[in-house]
Amino acid sequence: MRWVRVRRAVVALVAVAGLYGLAAQIGHGRLPDRIWLGTHYVENVQLLPTWRSLAEEGTFLLESDILVSSVAVSTRRVAIGLILGSIAGILLGLLTGLATRLESLADPWVTFFRFTPALALLPLYVVWFGYGESSKVLLIATNVAVITLLGAHQGVRGVPRVYLDAAASLGAGPWLRFRRVVLPVAFPSIFASIRVAAGLAWVTIVVAELIDARMPSLGYLLTLAGAYPRVPTMLLALATVGALVLLFDLLALLLHSWGTRWMERAG
Amino acid sequence: MEIRGWWSRTRQSWRPSADRRCLITRRSLLWLASLAALIGAYTLAASVLSRPDILPPTREIAAAFGALVGRGLQMPAGGEHQHHHHPSSAQMETLLQEGVTLQGALAVTTGRVLFGLAVGLPLGILLGLLMGWSRPADDYLHPIYILLRSVPPLALITYIMLWLGHSEAHRLIPIVYAVAVTMVIPTYHGVRDVAGKYLVAARALGAKGRLLLLRVILPAAGPAILGGLRYSLAIAWMTAVGAEMLMAENGMGNLLIGGGMWSSRLQTRSDPAVIIVGILALAVAGWAMDAAARILGSRLTHWAR
Repeated sequence: MRWVRVRRAVVALVAVAGLYGLAAQIGHGRLPDRIWLGTHYVENVQLLPTWRSLAEEGTFLLESDILVSSVAVSTRRVAIGLILGSIAGILLGLLTGLATRLESLADPWVTFFRFTPALALLPLYVVWFGYGESSKVLLIATNVAVITLLGAHQGVRGVPRVYLDAAASLGAGPWLRFRRVVLPVAFPSIFASIRVAAGLAWVTIVVAELIDARMPSLGYLLTLAGAYPRVPTMLLALATVGALVLLFDLLALLLHSWGTRWMERAG
Repeated sequence: MEIRGWWSRTRQSWRPSADRRCLITRRSLLWLASLAALIGAYTLAASVLSRPDILPPTREIAAAFGALVGRGLQMPAGGEHQHHHHPSSAQMETLLQEGVTLQGALAVTTGRVLFGLAVGLPLGILLGLLMGWSRPADDYLHPIYILLRSVPPLALITYIMLWLGHSEAHRLIPIVYAVAVTMVIPTYHGVRDVAGKYLVAARALGAKGRLLLLRVILPAAGPAILGGLRYSLAIAWMTAVGAEMLMAENGMGNLLIGGGMWSSRLQTRSDPAVIIVGILALAVAGWAMDAAARILGSRLTHWAR
């Protein structure tokens, strides 16, 4: 059964890669290479670069150390933002989820925080924290916190009343109920939100790295490749971001299966 | 027990009881008090810090709000209002010159978000249903989906622009893409993990095809799908604002960075009062949409309570 899945995954991915290669070969020389961009023409655009030119561009980016240093810088920012943001978001979400009586009191504060698209904070963060590292990291952290806050809040609210009543009638105090009933039940929701947030952190970095854009960073690499436009670089940068998102998702998934290892799983 | 369709509503949800109405009144009073406290705390913090370039005083935010909203309400003929709404900053001046109003920008962004939802939701839910329903489809499509999902929507803007030119497409496609990609996971998990057990039971009892889909899978996966809808709303707003910040001449993202393109705006300092007004408007709009989704959700999934 497992081998069937692996075989099918490989077939699907090879098919996609093959189709892309075929489309690129057919498009080579047929697709327009001079493109009107509203204000000016850009020349020598390869809309669908062939595998060959992608490989050449990849070797260049690797040999010139552009890609590796960009990955290192951006990953560091995302990781710090993700850790800070999820700690803050989960704590706040647990609090708002637990405080049923204070709900309407805390609501406007939480509403303001929760429904602000975090990217909208970018200009404000530039004003508050300057053009440096902190505004980028804090923007990611805020974005992550918004999502994990929602996940933790919904997770806590999703705990069936019966579980809490049953635990209370068996003599469990508030801390024990929180530790043994609320947290385990809320875990899947919290980890699902971390998974979403990890993906979102990488969306944010693409925009956040336009603040004081300078070179070793994936966001600026994408922008530069778009400005020239140099499609092979653009696609490789996209693929790199994609690979990093996958890596972070895998880590979150591992955390998820570790956190919910007590659960029964259907087939 | 009578089995209802997943669309049917319960009677009592239409009119709250007297008890519940009392609770609602108390809640809204507390809510208002808390809002007043929030504004009070901000005013205090701003006056203590007294750095209008970081925390503008409440008065200035209200003035920015008035200028951004009032411009749209006034007759376009007037020239006298210039001394009344004296533009307080370079950003405000640019915005007023370009004729940007808060309600206009918000309407444009809301339109983009709604378009993204209208196209993205069905796409994502269909893909999620397909992958949750059929094992072979899951095996073949999941790796491709994972590859697609890991590409940040905002990073696609320039590539889409190369293909389709400078148009509305590169603002809308990222939103559609973000919504669709977000909806797949909750639908998929709803169908596979939640409905899985019922699916086995219903199949054993002989349910097939449409009956299975409408009476078993959709009701069981409903809460998960609606939960996903709330995520997608947040992500749609964020992507819309981000796309507008990067590449748009209108909408909230454009208002926030004060008109013009990023490259030209990067060096000038923005006006925090305008940004705060914009963020507040976005928060209110996002809250309204989320509330609508929540009410819709509890109407549609009353059996889950």
